[in-house]
Amino acid sequence: MKTITLTVNGTAYQETVAPRLLLVDLIRERLALTGTHVSCTYEGACGACTVLLDGDAVKSCMMLAVQADGHSITTVEGLAVDGQLTPLQQAFKEEHGLQCGFCTPGILMNMTDFLKKNPRPTDAEIRHGLIGNLCRCTGYINIVKAVRAAARAAAAQTGGQ
Amino acid sequence: MFPVAIEEYRRPKTLVEARLALDGYDPDDIVLLAGGQSVMQAIKARMVRPRCIVDLQDLAELRGMSRADGLTIGALTRYVEIAEDTGLTGGYAALRDAAQHVGDRQVRNRGTIGGSVCWNYVASCLPAVVLGLGATVDLLAVDGKSRQIAIDDFLIGPLETARRPDEFLVSLHLPKLGAGSGSAYRKWGLVTDALPVVGVCVLITLASDGKIAAARVSLSGLAAGAQRAQAAEFILTGSDGGDAAITAAFAEAAGAADAQADKWADSAYRRQLIRTLGREVAETALQRARAGSTGAKP
Repeated sequence: MKTITLTVNGTAYQETVAPRLLLVDLIRERLALTGTHVSCTYEGACGACTVLLDGDAVKSCMMLAVQADGHSITTVEGLAVDGQLTPLQQAFKEEHGLQCGFCTPGILMNMTDFLKKNPRPTDAEIRHGLIGNLCRCTGYINIVKAVRAAARAAAAQTGGQ
Repeated sequence: MFPVAIEEYRRPKTLVEARLALDGYDPDDIVLLAGGQSVMQAIKARMVRPRCIVDLQDLAELRGMSRADGLTIGALTRYVEIAEDTGLTGGYAALRDAAQHVGDRQVRNRGTIGGSVCWNYVASCLPAVVLGLGATVDLLAVDGKSRQIAIDDFLIGPLETARRPDEFLVSLHLPKLGAGSGSAYRKWGLVTDALPVVGVCVLITLASDGKIAAARVSLSGLAAGAQRAQAAEFILTGSDGGDAAITAAFAEAAGAADAQADKWADSAYRRQLIRTLGREVAETALQRARAGSTGAKP
């Protein structure tokens, strides 16, 4: 067993874990943050477990929890502050960027990182950015629309184009 | 998919500590963990059952790129850093071509060039690209001795390299590729940015008369692992880089390739991919080399 400290959504945690525990299981089973989903069988195929690791979108099933020792994690629960949705979440709501919603947390986390690094993406760039997330409802049209709308909303807010 | 029990997790802070971190276990029971985007799959599937994991993430000496006398790429340099480095043009452009299309954003945010090269999976891009670019591999052993070997001697075969269990890959060094050099890489997979069924890397250096002074061609996706296509190199070298030479080069490469048949592609299709991708990649590499030699932006 190994004792690790990490920050999740701004809260510091100290946990004693077996080295083989996957980060996604720490998040879901220990910290009870079940917004992070497992859609494939931990194969790194679906992207539903995507979280931010020090700001970078990563698949939390592809890491051991011990690897996150000393790092900062953001999960989907950490996006909205005091019930105030982020522009990306708001856009997913308004554009109906989800059907069953199971893949949505991973997509929100990946696209949060994506828009931070590319605030004015083309549709082709959005689609390329979404390769690591599977939507089994095949609702990609509205997902792309939602990401595009979020980018435009952010551009309007900052006065840029 | 869930790993077998792992007895120990070690995270050395320096290369000196890293050398000590291999103590106490049989080398076969230790896994050196970089980005983990391939090896964690094998660990979760229990194909690899480490008793001890040595996590390299804190080794700052293994990170980043420097451009003294060529290009040195630290083993822990992530795909995303290579993909976003707009300075990688001309002879180094193939690195970006490959890194921009490895897996997906999440994989590129974690996966490293050193991890990919040490894992040396058949259907992977970076081993073939650094082979095509003529890299030298810098290894450091636990006794403090380092050695540099050519990538051709490092990549032995599928999942096999010349790295001894008591050695760390420190960096990959690429020779100085100045104006007049151009490289490119492209793969074909079942879906966008999937593992390569076949990938082709070409590096071309032009002579002052515009002919091809030197060419290196490498292939990914074949069962024997990343490999040079020396038949194609032979035809391209000394040629004018015209249609006839390129077509002949990749016809020869396709003919000489030991192209396996599997559920993704039969042998004839793999050979067709070598011809088609080879042509596109060689033309892109030539364009980049010519742009560099005329001072235009490659």
